[in-house]
Amino acid sequence: MLAFIGRRISLALLILFGSTYLTYQLAAYSGDPLAGVRESTDPNKEVIIRELTRTLQLDVPPPARYFLWLQKALGLATGTPDFGNTVLLRFPVIDQISAAIPITIRLLLISTILAIVLGITFGVLSAIRQYSRLDYSLTFLSFLLFSLPIFWVAVLLKEFMAIQFNDFLARPTIDLASNLVIATLLAVIITGFVSGTRKRVLITFGVSFSTVFLIFFAAGATEWFRYPSLGIFGITLLGASCAVGFTHVFTGLANKKALGAGLTSVALGAAVYYPFGALAGPGTNYPLMLAMAILMLSSSYFVGYFFTKIDKGPVIRVSMLSAFFVGLFTVLDKLMQTWDTYYELSNGRPIETMGSYNITLQSNDFWVVNLDLLTHLILPTTALTLISFAGYLRYSRASVLEVLSMDYIRTARAKGMPEREVILRHALRNAMIPLTTLIAFDIAGLLGGAIITEAVFGWRGMGSLANEAIVTQDLNLLMGTFSITAFLAVMATLAADLIYSTLDPRIRIRK
Amino acid sequence: MKKNLVKGVALVAVSILGVTGLSLSPANATAANKTVIAQSGNTLSGLNSSVNGKNLVTNVEVTAPTGAGFTYYNNKTQLIRNTAFGTFKITQNTCATNLVFGCFKVTYTIKKGLKYSDGTLITGQDLLLSHAVSNSDYSIKAGLGDPNSDAGSKFDSLGYGGAYDENTRATSMNLSDDNYSVTLSYAKFMPDWQIMGPGPGAVHALVGLAKGKKSLQTARTNATYKAEFENAYYTSIEALPPTDDEDYEAALEDRTAARTLMSRMAQKWSTAWNITTVTSSTNPLLLISNGGFKITSCGPSSCTLDRNPLASVGGSPKKTGNMERLIFKFPATGTTFNPNLVGQAIKNGEVDLFSGEATAAFWSTVNGDPDITASRTSVLLYEHFDIRTGDASAANSTVNSDGNCAAPYDGPFKGSTQRAKDLRKAMMLVVPRQTIANTYIGKVFDPGFTGNSPMLNSSFSLTTEGDYSKVVAGSSSYVNDFTKDQATRNAMALALMKKYYPNAGPGSDSISVKMLTSTAARRVDIALQIQLQADKVGIKLTNTASTGWSGLLNCNNYDVSTFAWSKSAISQTGTTPQYASDGSNNRAGWSDPTLDTLLKKFEDTLSATQLISAKIAAERQLWSNYWTLQQYQWPGVAAWNKDVKNVLPNPLNPNTTWNYWQLGY
Repeated sequence: MLAFIGRRISLALLILFGSTYLTYQLAAYSGDPLAGVRESTDPNKEVIIRELTRTLQLDVPPPARYFLWLQKALGLATGTPDFGNTVLLRFPVIDQISAAIPITIRLLLISTILAIVLGITFGVLSAIRQYSRLDYSLTFLSFLLFSLPIFWVAVLLKEFMAIQFNDFLARPTIDLASNLVIATLLAVIITGFVSGTRKRVLITFGVSFSTVFLIFFAAGATEWFRYPSLGIFGITLLGASCAVGFTHVFTGLANKKALGAGLTSVALGAAVYYPFGALAGPGTNYPLMLAMAILMLSSSYFVGYFFTKIDKGPVIRVSMLSAFFVGLFTVLDKLMQTWDTYYELSNGRPIETMGSYNITLQSNDFWVVNLDLLTHLILPTTALTLISFAGYLRYSRASVLEVLSMDYIRTARAKGMPEREVILRHALRNAMIPLTTLIAFDIAGLLGGAIITEAVFGWRGMGSLANEAIVTQDLNLLMGTFSITAFLAVMATLAADLIYSTLDPRIRIRK
Repeated sequence: MKKNLVKGVALVAVSILGVTGLSLSPANATAANKTVIAQSGNTLSGLNSSVNGKNLVTNVEVTAPTGAGFTYYNNKTQLIRNTAFGTFKITQNTCATNLVFGCFKVTYTIKKGLKYSDGTLITGQDLLLSHAVSNSDYSIKAGLGDPNSDAGSKFDSLGYGGAYDENTRATSMNLSDDNYSVTLSYAKFMPDWQIMGPGPGAVHALVGLAKGKKSLQTARTNATYKAEFENAYYTSIEALPPTDDEDYEAALEDRTAARTLMSRMAQKWSTAWNITTVTSSTNPLLLISNGGFKITSCGPSSCTLDRNPLASVGGSPKKTGNMERLIFKFPATGTTFNPNLVGQAIKNGEVDLFSGEATAAFWSTVNGDPDITASRTSVLLYEHFDIRTGDASAANSTVNSDGNCAAPYDGPFKGSTQRAKDLRKAMMLVVPRQTIANTYIGKVFDPGFTGNSPMLNSSFSLTTEGDYSKVVAGSSSYVNDFTKDQATRNAMALALMKKYYPNAGPGSDSISVKMLTSTAARRVDIALQIQLQADKVGIKLTNTASTGWSGLLNCNNYDVSTFAWSKSAISQTGTTPQYASDGSNNRAGWSDPTLDTLLKKFEDTLSATQLISAKIAAERQLWSNYWTLQQYQWPGVAAWNKDVKNVLPNPLNPNTTWNYWQLGY
């Protein structure tokens, strides 16, 4: 194994050298970084040209200049890697990349995880109900989302989820006509997920329509969107719904132990609602929040552990997931309670169309600051999730369908194994193998950034840096971003190979 | 299953209804808004835009409200004298009769009693610094280094080079006895003398920085620092007595001390303001202001400026707007900002002011919105079509980056014979200027545009300058040929071609012309438009779109080229480098002694009327050579929150905040 890794790393270094050399040459010969200065009529432009030529070493031919760059980048002379400065702003490239990476991770990690979780979940559902109304609905949805250009989605999201929503917040009541339209649309979507007789579909539509109508009527009447809150009652109800849902998925509702463990975790979460509120004031911090999360999850682990003596795994899973979601709802509630303050601090326009935080916001309140970060994540994360979710859905559907037609699945069913077990333990695990490649590359690609999304939402991540480097002929910046992404891509390939062998014991690395 | 479904839906409904039942009471209305948020086109890279590499639009925008000087440009590109800061006048102009150094002098006087934000008086000593950072002779004589050498000056200034540097000496700037005036001596009359004047620099802060201070100093210390600077400024350039003189040692010691201080100041001047983050712990010496505003914080996304409490005595024009805070928002995308994003941001109330290049998406977003004022503007960037007549001027001969360029130039448009002129005129006539202007102006604002957009008909005035129409009228006999409809112009061009190529006609390829453009879609499209028309009169035009086009502008392999010139200031002599035989921007080998003489006139003292006459005379001579054809001035756009008053978009930077003293709600 070690020899294999060593060989792969040596090969990776060669690939990195080749790719950086090629990129450097192509970029250096593709344009003139002084073009803008040459078009200027400034009397001292020759001085500027001379200074830039000296600084950027433009008098050295690109094939030789690459080695000067490489020498600095590897820190051979000084011992400290140096990617140089950006051309126009004269910022150290390494600083720019260091600042961009966390922003890109914040932007892409959530959307990638959401896309993976939702895509795989709905992909599996679509596969196990092949050719059902649900399957057709999801297929239609995935193709629709797949075909949407992100810059267009972004413009729509900005118009409706930012500008119009902010306008709506100034007078957050919902008129009858709007409520009817919303209820009809949502009811149609919900009905699309239901299979069965026409009567069943119509009942589903009717119930969904009435429910949504009532919810939005109540939300409008109470101005809930302006003054949102879940409260202990809401958290308990939503938590209990989750406990029931997870029990249904992992063990079946007949398993009273699992249901009991889940509901106990929910009750525990509800019990700490007020103490949490007291502890997590405006001056709270991330370590404290992390400690509380660990405490909550470990408590739920023991709840699950002591609730049953046999087959503890699924019970613990239900208990911990229920606790996780109760915790999430509690944090959400806290953020909702901060909404009013945030609304006032943001001059009544809490959802912004550009940037990763509100520059005019003046607050050190932990919850206000985090709510601000979250509101700025809503639009780009939604756009990215919508677009990339479709890919995972189609891949996982195809993969599960292929696995479900295998002999061992038929055997598992024939020997009387419950369908839940067949899907979760046998089909899903094997279906994940081809998806691993996709996920590994997507996660490695995270640091490459999302050029278009970052540009349209005004985030300065790795994508924006790469774009800027290309547009301004900034070789130092381009090579800095490229080197990082190329390195991660090579490492991702190695990681994917190693994960294969863990997921599938039949795959072994040959000597 | 049915039962389960109904149960499930009911559970969710009850949960959410329970949630919506909880509501809080409304909050109070927000206080009156006195903050204006301006969107910048790129990111802040430093607070001293005079340092090499820091002369970026955003750096100027952010720091402009923190300083006041003798002049500023208004929205009509007129240079306005700021009498709140001081006055200036010519005190000697005898160059016409006796051309010796000092025959032209200008005296600048600061209004007494003006103060910086730290309460220190603004005096003439504060004007001396601008000479040190703009005059190569001073830098060399003060031992700070030769700005034109590889090592450069210790003042890493981009002020060196150009007319001011060439016509002043180390000793050019002299302080008056009362310390409130300086007199600048030039080698000759300077036609653009009004834009060459000094600006104030808080020298007491710079001395403090050089001495390692990290806090504001007392009034007495600051006065001492000013005196130290004045002494160092003059002592550094003093010649030493002979080594055997008894005062030599003392003089050497004094000069060494003075040079040491100047050197430390130069080092601080070049680096200390190269910051992009300002917090409460930033050295306050770096934030001293004499403008209407002071920088209070800066970060990667924005800079916040708050009203300077001493603004009324700092020398900025009288405050008439109620803006108390000005925030510059920087694009996350660094230097590649897409203006389309700002349209929705203005609609959403995130941004109050924006001015930039016009795009269809931006215009359609802001135009017609009841809460936004949108205005079409023009930026100081114009497209032109140049024809080579010979080798690049000597000033450019070493810039050629392509070793394979043929020399001497022997193309179809070479020289100043009638034949060459006729062929050049034919070439210029087929350039479909109206179509090009419509595409890049009219259709930017309205994709279905069917009218005629304004073409640029002058080489010496832009459409945004006050004398444009008069200059164009003065050369109308030439202009008229180039404003006729394309069919007529093609017919005229064909007639000229037939004089020398009787068989000239569509597709005859009578002459071959090589064109140079960049690979930008705009330029490639313009070249294609020209190519289509040229073919109709027998000119076979081949375009070479090159990413390295700018390095090939001197290359004789290309007969014609098209690109844009950008202007950063309006000056009397600003156009001369393009058209003078030895001009630094004359890359197409143009040479005309008559035009050179006419261009020399721009170096005289001219009234507004005389300037227009001089422009018309030069314009007509330029037209008669058929060297260059202006196409159009790039359209710009400004949009702002309707509640913000007195926004007057300016084609010169700063574009929307130049009159910060008038902005408000």
